[in-house]
Amino acid sequence: MKQLNAIFEGVGSVVQLFLRSASYAGSLPRQWSRFIEQCYLIGYTTLPIVAILSFFIGTVLALEAGYAMEGFGAKEFIGSLVGLSMARELGPMMTAVLLAGRVGSAITAELASMTVYQEIDALKTMNIQAAKILVLPRLAAVLVMMPVLIVIANIVGWFGGSVVARYVSYVGISPEAYFAALRHFTKFKDVINGVEKAEVFGFVVVLVCCDIGLNTRGGPREIGAAVTRAVVVSLILILVLDYFVTKILL
Amino acid sequence: MTRNPFTGAEAVAVGVEVDHVFKEFDGGQDVLRNVSLRVEPGEIFVIMGPSGSGKSVLLRQIAGLDTPTSGRVLVDGLDPALEETRAKVRLALVFQAGALFNSLSVYDNLALYPREHRLGNEAAIRAKVTHALKILSVEDAAEKFPSELSGGMKKRVAIARALVMEPQLLLYDEPTSELDPVMSATITEIIATLKNEYSVTSVVVTHDRELALTIGNRIAILMDGEILLIATPDELRASKDPRITDFLNPVIDIQHPRFKKLETQATT
Amino acid sequence: MNTTQQTARVGLFFLLGVALIWVTFETLSDGKFFEEHQHKLVARFNDLRQLKVGDEVRLAGVRVGSVQATRLAGRQAEAVLQIDPTVAIANDSTATIEMAGLISGNYISIDMGSIGAPALADGAEIRTVETPDLNTLMADIGGLGKQLQSSLGSFSAALNGDPSKGGGILQKLDKLVTENSERVNATMTNLQQITDKINRGDGTLGKLVNDPKLHDEMLATVDEIKAAASQAKEFVANAEGVMDQIKSGKGTLGTLVYDQKAADDIRASLANIRSVSDKLAKGEGTLGKLINDPGLYDSAQVTIKKVDRTLDGLNDSGPITAVGIVANALF
Repeated sequence: MKQLNAIFEGVGSVVQLFLRSASYAGSLPRQWSRFIEQCYLIGYTTLPIVAILSFFIGTVLALEAGYAMEGFGAKEFIGSLVGLSMARELGPMMTAVLLAGRVGSAITAELASMTVYQEIDALKTMNIQAAKILVLPRLAAVLVMMPVLIVIANIVGWFGGSVVARYVSYVGISPEAYFAALRHFTKFKDVINGVEKAEVFGFVVVLVCCDIGLNTRGGPREIGAAVTRAVVVSLILILVLDYFVTKILL
Repeated sequence: MTRNPFTGAEAVAVGVEVDHVFKEFDGGQDVLRNVSLRVEPGEIFVIMGPSGSGKSVLLRQIAGLDTPTSGRVLVDGLDPALEETRAKVRLALVFQAGALFNSLSVYDNLALYPREHRLGNEAAIRAKVTHALKILSVEDAAEKFPSELSGGMKKRVAIARALVMEPQLLLYDEPTSELDPVMSATITEIIATLKNEYSVTSVVVTHDRELALTIGNRIAILMDGEILLIATPDELRASKDPRITDFLNPVIDIQHPRFKKLETQATT
Repeated sequence: MNTTQQTARVGLFFLLGVALIWVTFETLSDGKFFEEHQHKLVARFNDLRQLKVGDEVRLAGVRVGSVQATRLAGRQAEAVLQIDPTVAIANDSTATIEMAGLISGNYISIDMGSIGAPALADGAEIRTVETPDLNTLMADIGGLGKQLQSSLGSFSAALNGDPSKGGGILQKLDKLVTENSERVNATMTNLQQITDKINRGDGTLGKLVNDPKLHDEMLATVDEIKAAASQAKEFVANAEGVMDQIKSGKGTLGTLVYDQKAADDIRASLANIRSVSDKLAKGEGTLGKLINDPGLYDSAQVTIKKVDRTLDGLNDSGPITAVGIVANALF
């Protein structure tokens, strides 16, 4: 019962935070530099790890698909399998997971320490809303950066798949055949679908991490606990949302 | 009444009214019990008391960062917890640890308020910020980050940041704690100067006897969440109340039950 | 890092992203992103079936646009077609809903129309022809099959017949042969006996076959017969001509056969004949008595015997005319 109450409280707090941030959306142009800074942190600095992970997800997909499909002579469809699963599912989801681990934790740590060291209180006395200058730029930045990350993740993942398809002996199909299959079955619509999904994930992850950071109570020790909680909650939310968003988008 | 150095407008100090405030934390412990006091516009009001007596909690109520369990706090007749009040009444709180924004330089820390509230263009803001830094003699630290500053510097920057807000009510939380005697004297001097020159209502929470007796127009002694008495420094010095004389001129006696009490009560 | 550098990096990153999105799009969707200004045509059908938004529009098999919207228009359904404006659709072109394949969806097929026909304007309505869709077609084929089966069934019933109704043609034929096998056998035996006799040179016919002298006479006779046959051919031709006339209702016989009145007359005559023959059977009138009188029967018997003898004579006597033989025997 207590846990249930905590969940409701958390949801309510997140929704409130979202509404408050959204109400300041008009101030975004004046917060340009903060927005750029967050874009830099969320997009640019996350890119390398997203690229590396996507490459290997692509390779693993191609390996597994090659192994499974070899049995009934459907190796030509590896490209389509890697293409579709990267674009529709794994690209968005793994990028969101990385975002939670890398950006979400940083956000929570920063906001939690601001809370613990009374910076948030200072903002309050200055009549400056945390939702406006701390949350809004991050939400806007994640919305802008997520599609870029996803497209890069997709392309790198596809490329990784083609490398495996070409060089692993038991797969051994040409990149032309691989990409032909990929192009035949993967439509731009699927990529857009994945981007929409990623936008939802990214937005929720950032929002939840902000909320947990801002609601940290107690001393500096709580910062670590808040970060852990933020990442765990984010990961759970990504997987739960994945089901529903996929259902809606299908 | 003097003019505000930043706007040139006549500074209108505001009064504070604390009316039968009780504050109870989740643990069920009363931190404040039936606290009532009035701060007149333009005066320096000092709230004194041992650690754990609830001074900081009381200050947070006045700043609107917290709401009382019962009773009410009014700043200029308005509830300070409401956003509308803070939009009307400029109140600044100098936090014990400074609470400077670690991600911003000292200059940006000071410029945040006028920028966010669009008080003039960048040149006007620069003039204002530089002026405030000069008053606190920390203009050299403008481009530094808070993590590079010493404790005393942090306090002075925090006060400068409060000044840039052109506050009508200035709240200090332990302004001289953790400072060496020289720096404490400097801060004391600054608080007094600000009051005299800018006609701002000040509420100082401290357990620093020197500071309280030097700058306070009136002093409230808060013990165990209750107001013991409110008096002028002279009245306080003349007081024969053992609890007060004990607090003002402590005799170090390890066996005294007061020490036990302080040990068991963590700083709130 | 200063702010300018940060902004530059974010900008670079963002542009890279946009470029990659564009590349992805170009690769996966053949670069149809912006809706160029396109002609719209409206095609009305009774039933759009499985046609949906985004399906292709093909002019003579070449993709020229897509279905932009489908909606109801009164009692009909309307498809709004987006057509490449560089393609002119003749105003006498017709649109039909075609199947792209068994599994895949439909598309709208437009034919070229006639040469020189003016092009349809933007927003115009195109002529449509309803084509049966696969489901209807399948249902029709099913119906056809049923009909075929039933006609084949009745055909086979006609041939094989219903056993309860005495069988079909084949059975009847079979029965005919079976029942008459004795008679047929007897006939065959007789025939064999006769040919044996002929072979042995027995009788007139045998001699005729085996005697060279007779053979020559026979040849002369055959020549005569040939001449007679050609005459007969002529006669037959004439007869055919007559028959044609009859058929076309010309001449007396023609009228007789093809004229309703004549037919009635004939029927009446036949009725008369029947009453006469009835009377005959009952022995009424002179002819009746003649037929039914036993005495007459006996004399007839004698006559027949004489005929028999004549036939025997034919066996023994030399070459004489058939008329001679008959006269001999009768008298």
